[in-house]
Amino acid sequence: MSGHDNSNGSSEKSSSVMDDLPTFNAENMQNNMKVILYSRTFMAIIGGVIAGILGLTSLTGFIFYFLVMVITSVALTAKAKFSIHSYFDSWNRVMLDGFFGGLMSFVLFWTFAYDIVHIF
Amino acid sequence: MAEDLVLDTAIRDWVLIPLSVVMVLIGILRYFVSKLMRSSTQPDPKIIKEGQVIIRARNLRAGANYIPAKSFRARKVYYSNEENGLLHVPKGQAQNPQAQMFSDPNMAMDMMKKNLSMIIPQTLTFAWVNFFFSGFVAAKIPFPLTQRFRTMLQNGIDLSTVDVSYVSSRSWYFLNLFGLRGLFSLILGEENATDDTQRMMQMSGFGFDPSKSLGAEKDGLDIIQHDWALPKFEQRAEAVLRKLVK
Repeated sequence: MSGHDNSNGSSEKSSSVMDDLPTFNAENMQNNMKVILYSRTFMAIIGGVIAGILGLTSLTGFIFYFLVMVITSVALTAKAKFSIHSYFDSWNRVMLDGFFGGLMSFVLFWTFAYDIVHIF
Repeated sequence: MAEDLVLDTAIRDWVLIPLSVVMVLIGILRYFVSKLMRSSTQPDPKIIKEGQVIIRARNLRAGANYIPAKSFRARKVYYSNEENGLLHVPKGQAQNPQAQMFSDPNMAMDMMKKNLSMIIPQTLTFAWVNFFFSGFVAAKIPFPLTQRFRTMLQNGIDLSTVDVSYVSSRSWYFLNLFGLRGLFSLILGEENATDDTQRMMQMSGFGFDPSKSLGAEKDGLDIIQHDWALPKFEQRAEAVLRKLVK
């Protein structure tokens, strides 16, 4: 579970105590979003391979994907030192972005690993 | 519904794995080929100028609250007044993007190159898959699906009794085509070749028709509510200091 270690994008400089005034640098924010997207994709692929090797089928596999995504979210939050609002403008960024984009990669690698290990 | 089919391990070794590996390699190859073929065009100074004006106006919009009301008004007038503001486009002078594209053959050439580098490998791989691997079951997805997906997943097999979760080799190719996008974005960086369609759309919206984006930026500047942030910053500083003292 180390996909988020490559996130060096914690360059958002904002010690905002009051959140009513948005003090964001758009470029840094975009970089942070990119890091999130990468770590999600990475976790989706790794999770797919793990699910396939474990031989999970149907609903179990999707629950596993959901779990992996939750773990990623928690890890990203920890990486942001639990102060989401100094790096992103809303919680949805951390929790939901790239959720469905990763699903396709997850399904592909799940199928691939499952086929190689189990059905032949 | 047929129960579990027994698939030959040779299918795994000679179809499933090679097909996936080839798809990945072709994706990488396409990325580098399109990188090679990308010609550096001489940019039109007028377009560059307009782009820079837009960026400046956008910066003003983003930082509007950090300057006093008077300065903001002055800058706003500089950008958007009706006579000689930078963002104001005189009527009739707006160039037709279509005509502009035809007047510059390089642009069309560039687009065609991009399209070709996209389509040719895809047709070739599809033909290759069709020729060597058509007509048998290559994989099984680990979750059940309804009958509706049969045409999608069992392309090339005309049996209605096979369980829908079995995937024909041709459909495995399609699954790869869509699912590998994430992997490519990881190994090739963000600007990978599969995003070409997106970029093309963006370009036609942004670069080819600057007058429209100028107008949009002007509207955005017009409706912005100015609210100087400095008075609030005293409270903010107070909050920060109090927190430090505590």
